Amino acid sequence: MTTIRTFMTDDHRHCDDLFAEAEQAIAKQNLPAAQAAFAHFRNAVLAHFACEEKTLFPTFEAKTGMRMGPTQVMRMEHEQMRALLADAVDALARGNSDDYLGLADTLLIMMQQHNMKEENILYPMCDQHLAAETPELLAHLESELTEA
Amino acid sequence: MQALLSFENAPPFAAPLRFFLTAPLFAVLAGLLVAVEGPAVFASRWMPAALAATHLVTIGFMLQIMLGALIQILPVVAGANLGRPLLVARIVHAGLSGGALLLAGGFLFGRPLLLSAAALLLALTALIFLGTTLRALIGVPSTSPTIRGLKLALLGLAGVVGLGALMALGLAHGWALPLAALTDLHAGWGLGAWAGVLLAALAYVVVPMFQLTPGYPARPSWWFPVAMLALLLLWSAAVLADWPVLVRLVQWLAALAGIVFAGLTLRLQGQRRRARPDATYAYWQFGLIASILALFMLSTATVWPAAADLAGWTLSFGILMIAGGFMSFMIGMLYKIVPFLAWMHLQNSGQARVPAPNMNRILADLAMQRQMKAHAAACGLLLLGAVWPDWFARPAGLAFAFASGWLGWNLLGAVRRYRWHAADIAAKLAAR
Repeated sequence: MTTIRTFMTDDHRHCDDLFAEAEQAIAKQNLPAAQAAFAHFRNAVLAHFACEEKTLFPTFEAKTGMRMGPTQVMRMEHEQMRALLADAVDALARGNSDDYLGLADTLLIMMQQHNMKEENILYPMCDQHLAAETPELLAHLESELTEA
Repeated sequence: MQALLSFENAPPFAAPLRFFLTAPLFAVLAGLLVAVEGPAVFASRWMPAALAATHLVTIGFMLQIMLGALIQILPVVAGANLGRPLLVARIVHAGLSGGALLLAGGFLFGRPLLLSAAALLLALTALIFLGTTLRALIGVPSTSPTIRGLKLALLGLAGVVGLGALMALGLAHGWALPLAALTDLHAGWGLGAWAGVLLAALAYVVVPMFQLTPGYPARPSWWFPVAMLALLLLWSAAVLADWPVLVRLVQWLAALAGIVFAGLTLRLQGQRRRARPDATYAYWQFGLIASILALFMLSTATVWPAAADLAGWTLSFGILMIAGGFMSFMIGMLYKIVPFLAWMHLQNSGQARVPAPNMNRILADLAMQRQMKAHAAACGLLLLGAVWPDWFARPAGLAFAFASGWLGWNLLGAVRRYRWHAADIAAKLAAR
């Protein structure tokens, strides 16, 4: 059975794939391809954040009453990653690959430690508390991700 | 779980940083000791200066970094929140630093009092660390091979420190202990059950994440830590029962397990999707190859014990495993952790209103890559020193001290830039 943990974790891996594509393009000094690949990656990450912030987190908060808990920290980390994404787009637009690589490195670690907390702690908590709502919730999340 | 709830619960930068900044100094000290004592250090693994230098590296460098890093990452990886991390860090750091110096002094000058003091101080420090982490880990289910590996590695830590303290006290008081067999067992607990299992538990997370490789296969990942710990228990029983054949069989199996783990990691890194070979990746590749060579030497000596009597054999194993393997993995990880933590703390202090400089501005890849070449050269010279001590012992010691000093310089530079940016961010926030 698909759980929230497996579904959302798969989407994390999808974002990783797109990140790798952007990095490959920049390594080949292909700036237009890198810009396109990074835009693709950024859209996927933003869609992931959006479906968490609009659907998954509020459902979790309503069910558990934990409003200032883990979901709040995750939202703050989303903000930090949004800032890094914007800076990286900027660096690519300026054609500054050194800055881009530094930002991409920072973003990757930030993203991975964030994902680790979600995958190991928050998503299992969601699965535990939202068992009854899971099928409906997953349908929601899936449509939000495909629309984006 | 607590750790997730707020950033305030994340350990302050000062908690892990004190370990990371002092560790290179101990490696410098070890290198200088080799340079001063010269060829005599490489006469045998039992030379007082060789024992002193080994423990300056294993306790002063390795253990410092391992415990400092655990204080930082237990909340993130396992959701285990240490109560008062800064206080724990201060106590453990002081205990390890003092203990490493006392032990090295005790070996070098043959002073029973120093050995006893070192044994007690290091045992107490380990107990405090274990007590704090076990309390944090109680109730944390082993939902991943990493969490289970971390828990088992702590048993390994208890084993290596317990045996080490027993031997140091035994030496100091002239107890009748089978020191040769116990020393091998102590090294087995330290390098296999503690450092090896800890490395594997962390590798399961950091290799796929930061190199974007496929994940480690689930079943072997679950079993490697258990197998290593079981082997060390069996080895201990074999030493107690005085069954040298079983000891050799266990050593062979442990070497094999290590080779499989390192080989698998090499293969995964070969499938990585990151475009750039950064310093961390280069350090890991070097470390994996050095450890595989070391483990082949170990397995050879189990089937052909006479090999261990060849000139420089055991020392070469130690150099490859410790300086070539473990130190390389650790430095490689430090080069990611320190700039990232600096960035994260700057980011938090900027309150999303003042941007933080990216990681490469804190510590440039070129500086790390150059230091890595110095470390690799030092390892090569140490190996030459093990075989031709008259020619290479002193240059090897100097090279090792130089490379380790360079590591310290790089880390210190990162911290200086961190402090500069922190002050800058505070000023900008105040001006708003």
